[in-house]
This record gives sequence, structure tokens and C-alpha cells, in this order.
Amino acid sequence: MIKIFNVAYKNLLRKKARSGLTIIGIALAAWVLVSLLGFNKGYESSLSRDIDNLGFQMIVTAKGCPYEAATLMLKGGTGLRYMPENITEQISKEPEVEEVTAMLMQAVFDPNKGESGGYSAYLGVDPATFPKMKSFLEFKQGNWFTNPDAMEAVLGYEAAELEQREVGDKLLIVEKNVEVKVVGILKRTGTQDDGTIFLPLKTVQKIFGIKDELTGIGIKVKKDANMAQFEEKMYKLPDVQVVSLAQVKQTIMTLVSTAKVMVFSIALIAILISVVGVINTILMSVMERLQEIGILKSMGATAWDIFKLIWLETLILCISGGIIGAALAMATAKLTEVLIRQLLPYAPSGGLVQITLPLVILTFGVVILIGLLSGVYPSWKAGRVRPLEAIRSQVE
Amino acid sequence: MLGMTMKKKFSLMVLMVTVILVPAQVLFAAVGCDLNDPDRDVARLFPGSTGYKTNYVSVDQRGGPALLAQVEDRLGDKFQGLFETIDVPYTLYEIFKGKEKIGYIHGVNEKGQYGGIQVFLVLDLDGVIKNFYFQKLTSRYGKELRDPKFGEQFVGLTLKDFYNYDILTGKAIGPSGVERIKNPVPEAEPDFKAALRGTKKNLILVDEFILGNKYLQYHKAVGEQKK
Repeated sequence: MIKIFNVAYKNLLRKKARSGLTIIGIALAAWVLVSLLGFNKGYESSLSRDIDNLGFQMIVTAKGCPYEAATLMLKGGTGLRYMPENITEQISKEPEVEEVTAMLMQAVFDPNKGESGGYSAYLGVDPATFPKMKSFLEFKQGNWFTNPDAMEAVLGYEAAELEQREVGDKLLIVEKNVEVKVVGILKRTGTQDDGTIFLPLKTVQKIFGIKDELTGIGIKVKKDANMAQFEEKMYKLPDVQVVSLAQVKQTIMTLVSTAKVMVFSIALIAILISVVGVINTILMSVMERLQEIGILKSMGATAWDIFKLIWLETLILCISGGIIGAALAMATAKLTEVLIRQLLPYAPSGGLVQITLPLVILTFGVVILIGLLSGVYPSWKAGRVRPLEAIRSQVE
Repeated sequence: MLGMTMKKKFSLMVLMVTVILVPAQVLFAAVGCDLNDPDRDVARLFPGSTGYKTNYVSVDQRGGPALLAQVEDRLGDKFQGLFETIDVPYTLYEIFKGKEKIGYIHGVNEKGQYGGIQVFLVLDLDGVIKNFYFQKLTSRYGKELRDPKFGEQFVGLTLKDFYNYDILTGKAIGPSGVERIKNPVPEAEPDFKAALRGTKKNLILVDEFILGNKYLQYHKAVGEQKK
């Protein structure tokens, strides 16, 4: 076997450029395949993590416009709709509910932001429930608010960076001309919390003159609860809109799956091209060596010996291409991620391309299978060569 | 021969992978100061320009701790806090009229009394200020400080003028064009000082990154005078 391997290996070295190009073709196909499978795995787990990191599985907002961020972008603070604060109590009594947290988002127009002004948003949160729900949040500096109606702010990392704030600094709420003290800077999370300025709920209600009203309620549902049934219950509440994060996840995954089908089709084409490339290379190699194969057969080599030799050459090409492709996919995972982020309308935080060992083994298996299949025809053709005809044809 | 070519190809591949992967790794580093809408802002801030090229550069990348020490020495103050760090990527816009380079636009983040301040300078090829712009300013006196009359006071000044301005005391230590810059509102003193510190830092970084330390001689001269 080692001897056959040596012969096959040396045969490939005789046409270095051709063998090299074929290996590159297979490597590119393997690269695309590993990267895509890695993306498939990475995107879903990152999206799930992002949604889990919200701390709650459901958001209840006032009917009309459930998307606070979109409203703020389009209309500023004026477009926000409110619901009574006492709904929180009503929801927390439901048996499926583990915890609820009340939120009030407000925005002010800052004329000194950019060329023509911009909005600054503040999220009022309940200090008793919000930090518990977001227990994964860590502080770079400081901590949460000292009391429920303190004139204090906790800033997400990016918000703090934009405002150049640190613990102890003052922050001005421009339109209201109110100063708050920065008591905490959160570590970067890669989520929307990074750009958020948190204030105690009561403080936001006081500053903006909004009594007993909220813009949203975050709900953490018990693990064994029936989500569909609970959602139905929530829909029955008057004048509220329910946004289930499971629905959000499902919608995003459906959108992304369309893109995935297209990309997998491209990968399939790349694999087919590389299969044709391998068959072409090996077949050319067989045709060029007809005389040689004829001599081998006349010296006693069986059709199976020739078949094995040619098949082994195919396998060496595919295995080499597979190794290079997998290595390339691992080395360029970060770059692939950057490119995907630019192409997708929404990309969750964290690793979008997760290349794991089982995934590499799977791709390797696919590449070897491609090698075995694409090597069958050239090997069979080589095995069928008639020695005398082959020797004579090339002499002529 | 073929072996040589393969070696060259391999080296090229390694180089490409390195160049591509390194920026990807610094994606989560500190954030710099970009124009909000470069196409619109460059045309507005630099009338007559037809295009621009964006360059990203950091003190860390250009010279590491040694360069940081030199910048701090020229500034007369240390880089401070969580966000004024060695790895902040500065965005330098090279401005063109046709194919001819006509100047630069560069911004820095500065810590103000109530929030972040973004100080942008429009400079000619010699580092002379042509325009001054607060892209962002959180202040009770934002209106007065963002008034074009305030920015006009900076026009014509260079880094040479700022060497005689002590940013720690906020006072001139010798004849300096900075003396002519007046604070429109006495209560806005912290933000006024922050604006001057941001301007000096901005000019020093442009001198280090682009002008080849053209103004370093004046810093040395001021140092000699002090001795």
C-alpha cells in the first residue's frame, strides 16, 4: 500500500501546476463549505444568545407602535405611546410569569448633536427588578443606582464612550436642563445595552413629568410555561401589544434562511465545479499515461491495481484540498464574519461563524466522498486499458 | 524555479491573511471620532473640495508608548480616563480637489463638563486651521459655543500658537494667537478649556501622523525658554 501511495504521490508531482490548481479548486470548495456550515451554526446560536441576553422572553408595549427604537428614530419622544403602570401588577399575577420589569423610554432633542441636531434616549428601569433580570451585565466602573428615585445614571459602554463619561461625572439631559450623576459604566456586551443610558424608572417619570405610565414591560416566563397559551392571555389585555422574542427569533431565522439557501446553492455549484475539475485532471493524467499503464499491465499489474493507483491519486488531491480548505476557513473565520455582517441587514453580536471539530470532520468526510466518487470513472477507464493497444497507440 | 514561485506565492498568501486578520481582531477596540456623514460634511467644511480619502491611525500603531509619551509631552498633559487611550483609532480625512490634495479634516473626542465633545479641525497642507467645528457638544451653553463666531476665532492659528498655551491652567505662557480666542460665556469655562485642549491634541496628532513633526521645533523652543 505504501508503495502504491509513493507511486501515486510521485505521479501527481510530475505535473505540479495541474495538481496544485486542482488542489486549490478543492480547497476553495472546502473553504466555502466549512465557512457556510460554521455560519449556519454560529448565526443561530448568536441570535439565541442575544435574545436570551435581553433577560426576558416577552415585551408588552402600548398598542400602536411596539417598536420604541423605530419610533424614536422617526418621531423622537413625541411618537411614544404609553400604558398604565398598574398593568405590571396584573401581569405578575399570572402563574406563567417568573418576573416582570417595568420600563419607560424617553428621548430629548439635542440641537448640538451633529449638524442638524439629534435625539438622546434614556431608558427608565426599575432598580428592584431590572438588574436581577439582567444579571449577566457586568460593570466596568461603579454599580447600579443607590435608590429608586436617585438622580443617577448607568451608561452602556458605547454610550459612556460617546459621552466620555466615567463614574462621578455629571450628565446633562439637555432639553430638560437636568443633571444626573453617573454611578456606573457597564462592560461591553455586544447588545443594544451598550448604547443605552439607564436611569431609575421613577427618576425618568419625574424628569419627564409622566406619572404612573410606562412604554414597555419585560416579562421573564417560567421555564415550564406554555408560551403560546400565555401569549394568548397577554393579547387579551386592553390596549397593549405583545412582542414575543421567540417570534422575533423565528422571523429573523426565516429571513436569514432565504439567504442561506442561496449561499448553499453557490456552495453546491462550487463543489460540482471542483468535482468536474478533479475528474478532468485525473482523466487527462490517465490519457497521458496510457503507454505507461499498458506497460504496467503487461508486466503483471491487474485492472484492480491500476484502479487503486488512480483512485489513490484522486484521494490524495481531495484530502490535500480538504486540509487546506479547512485550515483556510478557520484562519479567515473573522474575515468571513466581517463580510457577512456587512451583507446581512441584521446580524447578532458574538461569533457569527463557529467552526467546530465535528464540522471540520463532516466537511472532510464530504470532500473524501467527492474524491472517491469523482475518481471512479478515471480509475475504471485506466483499469480497462488493453496493454498492447495502449503501447501501440502512443508509439504510432 | 517552480519551487521559488510556490515560495513567493505562499509568502504572499501569509501576508494577505495577516493584513486581513489583524484589522478584524481590533474591531472591538476603542472608538475614534468620525464625521457623521463624510460625503456631506467634507463638502460643507471644505468648500471647493471634490473628494476625500479616509485613513485610520492610532498612536499605538504609529509608535506605541514612546509616541504616546511624546504626544503627552507636547500636549502638556497626560491622556486620561477610560476612553483617552493609546489605541483610539483616529480618522484622518485627506481632502482633494481633483487629483490634487488640498488639506485635511481631523476630529478628536474630548471630555466636556456634561458629556462628550467632538472637536473637528479643517486644516490646509501646512497645518493652518481653516475651519473649526464642534460635531457634538453636550453643554448648557452649546448654542454660544457652536456659534460660527466662536469657531472663527481659531481660523489662521497653527500648533505653534498652542505651544504657548498651558492647557492645565488655561493660561497663555507667552505670546500666543490663542489669547485672542475668547470664551463667549464665563460659565462655560470647563467646556471652553476642553475645546482648547481638544484643538491642541488634534493639531499635535496631525503633526505626528501627517505633517512629519513640522511643528516639533516650536515645542522644543518653548521648552528651552522655560529652562
